[in-house]
Amino acid sequence: MELAFSGWSGILILLMYGLIMLGVGITTYLRNRNIHQSLDEYYLGGRGLGVMVLFFTFFATQYSGNTVIGYPPSAYRMGFEYLVSVPFFIMIIMAYLLFAPRLYSLGKKYKLVTPAQWFEKRFKSKAVTILAALLMLYGLGNYLLEQLVAIGQGVSGLTGGTIPYQVGVIFFVIIMVIYGWLGGMRSVAYTDTMQGIALLFGVFMLLIGSIVYFGGLPTSADYMQAYSPEKLGVPDGPGVVNWFSLLVLIGIGAAVYPHAIQRIFAAKNERTLKRSFSRMAWMPFLTAGVVFIIGIIGINAFPGLSTGESEQLVGMMASAVASQHVVFYWAMVLLFGGVIAAIVSTADSVLLTFSSIISNDLYGTYINPEASQHKKLLVGKLVGLVAVGILILVAWFPPGTLYQIFVLKFELLIQIAPGLILGLYWNRLHSKAVFAGMLTGTIIASVMTIFDYSLLGVANGLWGLLINLGVCVIGSLVVSVSVGEEKEAKQVIGM
Amino acid sequence: MDKPKREPIKNGKLWIVFGVLLAFITPWYFPTSFGEILIYGIPLWALVIIFASLLLSAFLSYVLKYHWMLEEEEEEKEAEKKGAR
Repeated sequence: MELAFSGWSGILILLMYGLIMLGVGITTYLRNRNIHQSLDEYYLGGRGLGVMVLFFTFFATQYSGNTVIGYPPSAYRMGFEYLVSVPFFIMIIMAYLLFAPRLYSLGKKYKLVTPAQWFEKRFKSKAVTILAALLMLYGLGNYLLEQLVAIGQGVSGLTGGTIPYQVGVIFFVIIMVIYGWLGGMRSVAYTDTMQGIALLFGVFMLLIGSIVYFGGLPTSADYMQAYSPEKLGVPDGPGVVNWFSLLVLIGIGAAVYPHAIQRIFAAKNERTLKRSFSRMAWMPFLTAGVVFIIGIIGINAFPGLSTGESEQLVGMMASAVASQHVVFYWAMVLLFGGVIAAIVSTADSVLLTFSSIISNDLYGTYINPEASQHKKLLVGKLVGLVAVGILILVAWFPPGTLYQIFVLKFELLIQIAPGLILGLYWNRLHSKAVFAGMLTGTIIASVMTIFDYSLLGVANGLWGLLINLGVCVIGSLVVSVSVGEEKEAKQVIGM
Repeated sequence: MDKPKREPIKNGKLWIVFGVLLAFITPWYFPTSFGEILIYGIPLWALVIIFASLLLSAFLSYVLKYHWMLEEEEEEKEAEKKGAR
């Protein structure tokens, strides 16, 4: 991102954000010194997150810096067809209704800490739990990698290259790890709140600035009518198919991200969870909707950009707006700091969930179940740290071949959905069928992605998911479930 | 009197409404002319989509509030007990 801001204001704002995050971590640590003895306290904030904080921490899992930087260019290129970005964020909340109510109840009943633990509880199968845990770890790892790269690019862009990419990554990773270690989920959720507010403020200022200096939607529409009427038109056949598959894919996909699931367990009570979701249902208009309008205004403001050039759209618009007035200048500096903070806030959530699966499931259940909670926590934190170290190396020295294996994330994460959701309601669902489905779905989605193969324009992850679901259902119907097993499942689900 | 437990997934009627709303937030039903009529720079079809999306958000809020009651009552009782002590 090339930005016309001189380096020092960028550096100043980044240092400020960094210091605030550290401050949050230290305050949380001083107020909750006992959290390092309990997985519940550390990874779920003692299951006590209130409406506001829970809301912002869900917000951070769904909206990252990418929403602000990456969505306007898509709107710029596709025109009003990209309006789909508003309803697809609403669909995520609808997808939550499929499993969150029951999962919250069961999480409370069995004191679940991670999504993988639900697999263990429900299927009592080492193979299923470990496979699910590995899929989540792998997907989360790649997700984290993507965020680290984005932090580095964002920092060097914001400061006009004054702070090099590597220094930016190291600076924010160290801060993120420190406040994460000090306060666990509480730190992460509190910083998510601060980061979310900064981002919202910045985006609104950019919208106001764009309307004032470039003209609003009517001006842009006049331009489109004259030069690119297709950007105003009703989507054609393939456009509608693409629209619909995005609604379904993003709805289910984003709802089953492990760090999103884990937040269900962290709610103080059912009412809090419901209220947070209810607010989330309205947020797409204020976030995706606003960045969509910014992209549409960009069509008129910077006409005729190539695909590559259009990726820089937000930077160009922000630079232009910033140069008009000192208030907008600082608002834009704040916005870009907010974008980086938002990426950090997504990264910290991912890292925390990553560590929790190590602590609670792999190490705490299978390797050393006798360990104290303190020790389990320590192992999770250390493995998380090692993983971050490896990912930083991958980000700096990207491998020439097989880079695709670091791209797989969504394709893998979504494969846990059938076992997770069907398992909540269907007593007959058999652990062997779940294992087979998850494995086949993963292999198909990965092979298709690695060899860059696509079928009927439907996303690879969705093909894997469909086959996974088929194997789960047909397998469970074919394999006979003993009366005992079915009864046991019924007891676990218990509703 | 105890309120009955409610779980959204078990209520078929809700999902019929969700199905209808899903159909309305997908732009398959517009004549081409809806892309030519502009209101404040927004094509008419997009306005309809925005309106349908607002309806979806409103309906979600309604379902969250009134059709999801699994733990709430017990949790409130517990909270009251704690408060009384």
